[in-house]
Amino acid sequence: MKKRIAIPILLLCLALVAAACSSDTDDATTTTGGDGGSSDTTTTTEGMTEASVLRAAITGDEDTINPYTYISGFPGWNLLMMQYDSLMQLDANGEPQPWLAETVTTNEDLTVWTLKIVDGVTWHDGEPLTAEDVEFSLEYFMEKATGRFSRDLSSVEDVTSDDTTNEVVITLGATNPSFDLVALADVPIIPEQVWAEIDTPGEATYDISTNVGSGPYMLVEYEAEQFYRFEANPDYFRGAPQVDELVVVVFADDSGALAAIRSGEVDVNFERVSPEQIDLLAGQGGLEIAQGPEFTTQMINFDASKAPFDDLAVRKAMSLAIDAQDIVDTVFLGAATVGSPGWVHPDKAVYNPAVQPEFDPAAANAMLDDAGYADSDGDGVREYDGEPMAFELITNSSDSLRLRIAELTAEMLAEIGMDITVASVETATWEEAVWPGFDINNGRNYDIATWGWSAPIQANTIRVAELVNSDPSIGFLNLTGFSNPDVDTLSAALLTEADEAAFETGIMELQQLIADNVPFVMLAYPDGAYVYNADVYSDYEFIAGQGIVSKLSFLPDSARP
Amino acid sequence: MKLFTRRPGRRPTPKVAKRLGIVGGVMISALVLMAVFAPLLAPYDPTERVGAPFQPPSAEHWLGTNDVGQDLLSELIYGARVSLTVGIVAAIVALILGTTVGVLAGYYPKRLGKVLMQSVDVILILPFLPLLIVLAAYLGRSLLNTIVVIGVLIWAGPSRVIRSQVLSLRSREYVLASRTMGAPDRWAIVRHVLPRTALLATGTFVRAVSTAILLEAALSFLGLGDPLQKSWGSILFWAQSRGAFLTPAWKWWVLPPGLMIMIASLGFALVAFAMEERINPRL
Repeated sequence: MKKRIAIPILLLCLALVAAACSSDTDDATTTTGGDGGSSDTTTTTEGMTEASVLRAAITGDEDTINPYTYISGFPGWNLLMMQYDSLMQLDANGEPQPWLAETVTTNEDLTVWTLKIVDGVTWHDGEPLTAEDVEFSLEYFMEKATGRFSRDLSSVEDVTSDDTTNEVVITLGATNPSFDLVALADVPIIPEQVWAEIDTPGEATYDISTNVGSGPYMLVEYEAEQFYRFEANPDYFRGAPQVDELVVVVFADDSGALAAIRSGEVDVNFERVSPEQIDLLAGQGGLEIAQGPEFTTQMINFDASKAPFDDLAVRKAMSLAIDAQDIVDTVFLGAATVGSPGWVHPDKAVYNPAVQPEFDPAAANAMLDDAGYADSDGDGVREYDGEPMAFELITNSSDSLRLRIAELTAEMLAEIGMDITVASVETATWEEAVWPGFDINNGRNYDIATWGWSAPIQANTIRVAELVNSDPSIGFLNLTGFSNPDVDTLSAALLTEADEAAFETGIMELQQLIADNVPFVMLAYPDGAYVYNADVYSDYEFIAGQGIVSKLSFLPDSARP
Repeated sequence: MKLFTRRPGRRPTPKVAKRLGIVGGVMISALVLMAVFAPLLAPYDPTERVGAPFQPPSAEHWLGTNDVGQDLLSELIYGARVSLTVGIVAAIVALILGTTVGVLAGYYPKRLGKVLMQSVDVILILPFLPLLIVLAAYLGRSLLNTIVVIGVLIWAGPSRVIRSQVLSLRSREYVLASRTMGAPDRWAIVRHVLPRTALLATGTFVRAVSTAILLEAALSFLGLGDPLQKSWGSILFWAQSRGAFLTPAWKWWVLPPGLMIMIASLGFALVAFAMEERINPRL
């Protein structure tokens, strides 16, 4: 008996002690923080633009960081691309620009892409980088599955290269207007002289000698679970990097990384900082925050294939009753962009500014009254088909911000006579309810749920078709069972629209259609926020939707696209 | 003939135990009053957002506000309800299970008793906290599940204590006499055994409440309770997940619920100690 009381006591004591220990250093922050945090700093042009050694924090090991070993999409892929180059490179607005390919031209229907490779680029081992290497890389990834890069290139039918003109021609099986974004700016180019000898990359064992790239940094030392040491490539084709040595320290968790940047053990945190930390960190001993838009989404899903959510009036009333601005202010403390009901992030070039979020609970109530959802028994909850409008809103317990979103949403929907109970469940249970078996053909087992998509879906605007089209082969991410003939026709047509002007008009119209028909309720696009020590280095480039972890952050301004 | 003698100095005198018991009683009564009169005592509705998020203590909010602007003092006061309810109900579950098993095993020590006690041993051997976490995660997050999980895991210890009492009771003269006169076992248990174990059971029950309160706090802190129920453990869960442990906010967000948990579990533990002093002279 005694022993068992001791364990929970011990747990609590540990927690309290941990709190007490960490508090000593930061008593001053309550008053001083705040000014630098909320301002929309991308990067300051003043400050330190050169550094001999920069120490960065990540949480979690990334193995040897070559195209077949890196672990996470972020920041693993970002660190991979410090050593390798892609044919195109995202600029600060998140738009692909020519990079390793100095010109990119396409035919009329966007099926043949001709790329002229920059002359005189060399690999880290001194060998020249040629068009043949590019052909080799693309074919290697198509043959030897890597997941991400093979999927990027799934529409490619044929690749040819010409070493005399240094040109590569890529032929696609079908029109793909976003091939530059999803493939050319994503796939690293690897050296034939290294990889030709590796037949089964999935089974090979690697050390850092395989990491021969053409990028601005070379991996020179790696201790598993401890650190990576990158040295600058002085012969980089766009210009030598401004930071001579980049040491990436692996931390076990966020609090370790945050403690390290506070104490000056590291100079930048490559992991995002949570909203409540922004004000506390900013302005503390040279620490600054780089904050900008990112393309992850937070939304409320409902099963629109069944009553009462199959009724547009109910969906529309819900979207009118949910105050996205309040959620941004309360849950994200302002560090997010309010969700556009048309799905597209306001920082995207094709965003339709006419589509604006509306918050009007009175209109929502009127709408439900008109549609016949009355509260006949006077208990404050409306009825549909004789049933009370009482639903479970499921959310995954591991995400505490989402739990708060669910709590606030339930509160807001109570105002329009819906009785919402928040159920916080294991992530696997939540996924299984919303997206059983990750295949929408398995149907849905939920009423209302919190949800969010990762950045790539927002980054490539037309992927919205995957969310709203009712044909499962196109709308394979249509988790809400939404169906609308106009949306179907337009979104399917836009997928293969080769004409840029026609695409733009169409996508504007699609946003309006989506907002009018409410396939889901958009809440917010949380900002990315990164903390760095401006006394050491401050010339970071915030790529919209990607953050600061890219080679652009370390190249001289003249070398950035 | 004296079977044993008290050796002074080796244990607290009954007087000290009594005083500690009174202190414990006062602590419990204060918390119970706080729980009962929460709506009168709390300045705000704890589920309502009444201020800006992450406010430090002020005249309006004595303990500041949490991450969505709910009043922390009100949460703390209402938290007594959940924490005490879980503690007491889980202890009742444990008491019913423990007494049933203990009495049966003690009264029928040969076959049934062996089987029962071996299963008790199995439960006692299982690594306790991991099992608790696995069960809580498997059953899902709700108040009822928290109660059930704690209740079914803490009965094993008390059942052993009760069994040993029953073992000695069953061979007393009056029990033997009633059996020789043909009274059914049920009658003997209800008439003779249960009344004489009740006091002991009450003592173990009070101790179980203390354990259950701590376990509820531990589970909620780990996010395995219902995080939207206002309990002291869930206040700590939110403090942890929104970084209050790393900021000055620990003083008004972490410390108060920690103290409440300490007071509650200490109060019940002191009362249990005082009761055991009277009931169970071998301790």
